[in-house]
Amino acid sequence: MKKEIVIVKLLSTILILFGLLIIYSSSYVWSNYKFNNGYHYVLYQFIFLLISLFISKVVIKIDLNIIKKNINKLLLIGIILLLLVIIPGVGVVRNGSRSWFSIGPLSMQPSEFIKIILIIFTAKYLEKYHYKINKLKDNLFPLIIILGAVILLIMLEPDFGSSMIIILTILSMVFISGLKYRFFSYIGLLGILGITFIIIIAPYRMARIISFINPWKDPLGSGYQIIQSLYAVAPGGLFGHGIFSSIQKYFYLPEPQTDFIFAIFCEEFGFIISVLVILMFIILFYNIYKISAKQSDLFKKFLSFGILSSLVVQTVMNLCVVVGLVPVTGVTLPFFSYGGSSLLISILEISLIINISKS
Amino acid sequence: MNYENIYRRQKVFLIITIILFISIIIKIFYIEYIDYKKINKLANDLWNRELPITADRGLILDRNGKVLASNITTTSLVVVPKQIKDKKYAAEEISKILNTTYKNIYGHITKNTSIERIHPEGRRLSYEIADKINALNIDGVYLLKEGKRYYPYGNVLSHVLGYVGIDNQGLSGIESMYEKYLKGTDGSIKYLSDGKGQRLNLSESYNEPESGMNVLLTIDLDLQLAIENELDIAMSKYNPENVLILAMNPTSGEILGMASRPSFDSNYYKNYSTETINRNLPIWKTYEPGSTFKIITYAAAIEEKVVNIFEDTYYDSGSIKVSGSTLHCWKHEGHGLQTYLEVIQNSCNPGFVTLGLKLGKEKLMKYIHNFGFGKKTGIDLNGEAKGILFKEEQMKELELATTAFGQGISVTPIQQVKAVSAAINGGNLYTPYIVKGVEDSSTHEFIYENKKHLEKKVISEETSKLVRYALETVVAKGTGHNAYLEGYKIGGKTGTAQKVDNGAYMQGNYILSFIGFLPADDPKLVLYVAIDHPHNVTQYGGTVAAPIAKNIFKSAVSILNIKKSKDVIPKEYTWLDEKYYLVPDVTNQDVKEAKKLLKNFKVKYIGKGNTVIKQTPKANTMTKELGDVVLYLN
Repeated sequence: MKKEIVIVKLLSTILILFGLLIIYSSSYVWSNYKFNNGYHYVLYQFIFLLISLFISKVVIKIDLNIIKKNINKLLLIGIILLLLVIIPGVGVVRNGSRSWFSIGPLSMQPSEFIKIILIIFTAKYLEKYHYKINKLKDNLFPLIIILGAVILLIMLEPDFGSSMIIILTILSMVFISGLKYRFFSYIGLLGILGITFIIIIAPYRMARIISFINPWKDPLGSGYQIIQSLYAVAPGGLFGHGIFSSIQKYFYLPEPQTDFIFAIFCEEFGFIISVLVILMFIILFYNIYKISAKQSDLFKKFLSFGILSSLVVQTVMNLCVVVGLVPVTGVTLPFFSYGGSSLLISILEISLIINISKS
Repeated sequence: MNYENIYRRQKVFLIITIILFISIIIKIFYIEYIDYKKINKLANDLWNRELPITADRGLILDRNGKVLASNITTTSLVVVPKQIKDKKYAAEEISKILNTTYKNIYGHITKNTSIERIHPEGRRLSYEIADKINALNIDGVYLLKEGKRYYPYGNVLSHVLGYVGIDNQGLSGIESMYEKYLKGTDGSIKYLSDGKGQRLNLSESYNEPESGMNVLLTIDLDLQLAIENELDIAMSKYNPENVLILAMNPTSGEILGMASRPSFDSNYYKNYSTETINRNLPIWKTYEPGSTFKIITYAAAIEEKVVNIFEDTYYDSGSIKVSGSTLHCWKHEGHGLQTYLEVIQNSCNPGFVTLGLKLGKEKLMKYIHNFGFGKKTGIDLNGEAKGILFKEEQMKELELATTAFGQGISVTPIQQVKAVSAAINGGNLYTPYIVKGVEDSSTHEFIYENKKHLEKKVISEETSKLVRYALETVVAKGTGHNAYLEGYKIGGKTGTAQKVDNGAYMQGNYILSFIGFLPADDPKLVLYVAIDHPHNVTQYGGTVAAPIAKNIFKSAVSILNIKKSKDVIPKEYTWLDEKYYLVPDVTNQDVKEAKKLLKNFKVKYIGKGNTVIKQTPKANTMTKELGDVVLYLN
């Protein structure tokens, strides 16, 4: 497994460094505008990186059994944090969602932490119940209820992107545990009903869904972000404008250092290098997959797969939004997008993978 | 067994993942390669801003490169609506400064367009207004330089030059005919804008406007100014309906000067009536030429050898009978016995009738057509008229007789100048032209150049020489003596044509004209002056038009650098130096009234009544000062 670890370490390092570079380039204009300092975002991201690397050192060496034993407590803490964050005055609103705790200059997103806690919890749960998971009432529903409670809290922020990632991650874990395919068609149906319900309570989401099919119908409203993203991606062409030469970052794409960072990357580096980066993601994921597949300990197997799944879901969702394959959902790109919690969790996940593969 | 199951499911997950990634890569390829052109264009439309810079129009220059139409730089207001943050404030302030409605400006600055010109209120702003707008210091409000046509000489040559509209587009005259050369190509400042509409310093391209090409005229500005000056004097002195002067180089057809009154200032053409603006009289006006036309008859008669001007004689009794009608000479008592050289000196109508009859209508009309009457001269200006001739098949002896001395037909000034030029230049009929060429405004290389165009040879060199000599004697010894300029050989012919209205001659309403040239033995300049219905003056071309021509000749000799000649025919003091007056119509008037009106004449009475029933000579004939006028009383 040594080879896989080397590749995982190497690729995640390269991606994080690429991320820093493109955060610097894409955020410079906004950063200058908001803070009068073009380096603001990249500096913060660098500080987050140092903190994350420090935590990573601990996580790589930690005995996973300790986490496993205390996971219920961690889950409780996570849920309490989710409850706290939706209280006005405690949680901070950004881009219409009350998803952040603000501690001095740093801020934290509890939904990111509940994601990894829930993965560990589910891994432990599935280790115990996977062979009888098809007895739905006894074995699957308790998990679904916990999942549902967490999602409900996150949707109260509301944070649709994180909810989707968590749901799809946990579902994929349940999927590999051997749940019958039939169940997934029910889930699919439920999903459609759920999405319909969500749209009914917040009609602006309907506009988002329509806008991704034909963004030019409402170019200044719901189609705006997708159009601006396409205006970044397309002019990049095969070879790109060159590093630091994006035009869309000049106030066309809102907050280009977060959800749409890959659009700016395409604009500056072009098709060929963009595909190379995507290939790096694929190779990284494939190696995590190999590590997971080789695990004989079921907890570790489920855990590493859960981590893989969350990274894949997040990456695919982000890229699909950027290229206009799915409606805008507000998901960051792992390793690339600006955001402390996102980076910390990505590094934490990779650290857990390393931890798992060592033992 | 369970492990295998899990492994299989993991594989399914892996395959789905890879399919998703491949779809993403395909979509990126689609956007960046297949949709590239379309979306890239849309994105560029979004990013690019273009501030237009209008090109200077090419200059219009005289033959010596003096500027007749130039450009001055003015300022125009242009707004970039996206860059204006407080649109209400901007609309309020700008509408106040431009003295227009808030609604109007608000409409402009809320338009969904990248760049909007405030038209027409924001065009060609004065410095003070531009300063005021500048002082507002509103983002997205730009003042752009814009060229405006300027005619430094105002009224001078305005009918030829024409004028331009608000967008600097040629609307008439040379400005409109040569629009495609003069207009040039507009430039722009192209810059990238950010999402807030601000200018990005990334790249900026300056698309230099390309000035239009210069149009060079054959006009000599100095001569033109002398002409315009004479026109103004004539206007104030005689208050005529209109007056026109045309100057041409007879050996090439180049127009050296062309002007008429009423005229207009091209800078402010809107202040004039369309009639004034559109009628370039020297090419537009058609009228009975009168005696100046006799030159053509004379040339034809000499060329056809029907007369020997030195030896053949004619006795003029004051009138001639043709086909039962009596045609009078302008001099009531007649000129007596004259050679045909004297016939033209005296401008004797019956003398010319005999020449016409000797030629016959076929020959006379052949020459009239050959000299270019009855059709456009082909001058490179718009608005030329053709004139009217008698149709040959309908012409009887009487029409032939009147045509011979220039009555009953209608011609344009430019036709006469073209024809007389041919008559005196050795017989070469040249097409008149006014545009010398078009040159590139920066390299001054000719894009094209007009050359003189010989249409045909109409008379022989020998005939032309005789015509020149005869016309020189007209000025030295005859009716044209008022154009005589000491030391210079000047040829010419006067004309006094009664105007026609609704097929009848108008009483006391004449067009007085003079056509002359110098030097008479080697003509460099042909000059035509026509004054329509002058007031307070003897209605005679030699009295009114010839002195105007003389003044222009005086200027022309220095402008065109014409040397004095040695063998000038000396001026003869003839009966013409006696004053001649027009006899007014006094029939049916009271004797006392008639006596007052006839104060220039010796009045004799026949009969004893108080009312005049008949007069001799008839009204509107010329009689010398203190000559006899007999009144028959009831």
